[in-house]
Amino acid sequence: MHEVSVALSVLDIAAENCKKAGYGRIDSIRLKIGRASGVMTDALLFAFEAIKIDTIAAGAIVIIDEIPVGGSCAGCGKDFVTEEAYVFCCPECGGLSFKVNTGRELEIIDMEVS
Amino acid sequence: MKVKVVTRILEANERIAAENRRIFDEAGVYVINLMSAPGAGKTSLLERTIKEINKKLRVAVIEGDIAGAQDAERIGNLGTPVIQINTGGACHLDANMINEVLGELPLNETELLFVENVGNLVCPAEFNVGEDMKMMLLSITEGDDKPLKYPLMFQESSVLILNKLDLLEYTNVNIDKIKKDAMSLNPSIKIFEISCKTDEGISEWTDWLVKKVK
Repeated sequence: MHEVSVALSVLDIAAENCKKAGYGRIDSIRLKIGRASGVMTDALLFAFEAIKIDTIAAGAIVIIDEIPVGGSCAGCGKDFVTEEAYVFCCPECGGLSFKVNTGRELEIIDMEVS
Repeated sequence: MKVKVVTRILEANERIAAENRRIFDEAGVYVINLMSAPGAGKTSLLERTIKEINKKLRVAVIEGDIAGAQDAERIGNLGTPVIQINTGGACHLDANMINEVLGELPLNETELLFVENVGNLVCPAEFNVGEDMKMMLLSITEGDDKPLKYPLMFQESSVLILNKLDLLEYTNVNIDKIKKDAMSLNPSIKIFEISCKTDEGISEWTDWLVKKVK
């Protein structure tokens, strides 16, 4: 929903970390994005292309690791991972006493600088 | 050269939200982030709630709208301290917008602060402002399909208030479906059914609220 603001935050954080490490150019940035984070990866990549011009990330590519929604159910005791973005009941037993543990990530993992 | 970063992308907002939270905690203010679609009755709910509880709790309000000050005028007419934020186009309030107006509110004389977010069922759920609790208002005329269409809002909210109960007989809305879907998205969500027009359900809601804040 806020891919441009997210892209701007990525650029800010990456530029700060690049300078802190003593380098002047970002070659790639790797992100972890959960499927239920509300961020559309295509829109984020498009936004990043637009804002990176004339910055130290001008030549950078963004690599996205998509994280599926996963969790555990107290009802049946099983863990699950699903292709769906939202879980309305435990995919294993159909019960409601489940907890979602992954899928909301929105993080920068690491980057290549030179 | 590889550089490890491992930073949350929306960390800037989270950092300011944590700072707001610290300020609220120090002043002893309980903060509720109130979210809904436009026209669900957020300001009406606040008017009714404040009239009901203003002898028991000292309330203040931050109003978020894209433009205009009508909501703040309505709250101000009750004698309640209120600040209007105009986002100038942004579809939600973020932690920084709240941080900038905190100095204008009598926080030390406030026990409960409502932050009335911009009317929108999507974006406000994604940005913490430093609140103790997120709460959403759904008017039943919006339809019983909303929990499954806007899941994040229902997942993030601790309380769901269903408003405009007086209009139920004119609709084909299934309230049980709204409740069932909301509970399946968020098993611990607390649901109230009210009408700001007829006052139905208002005292159940305000009794619960006063206990929660005190």
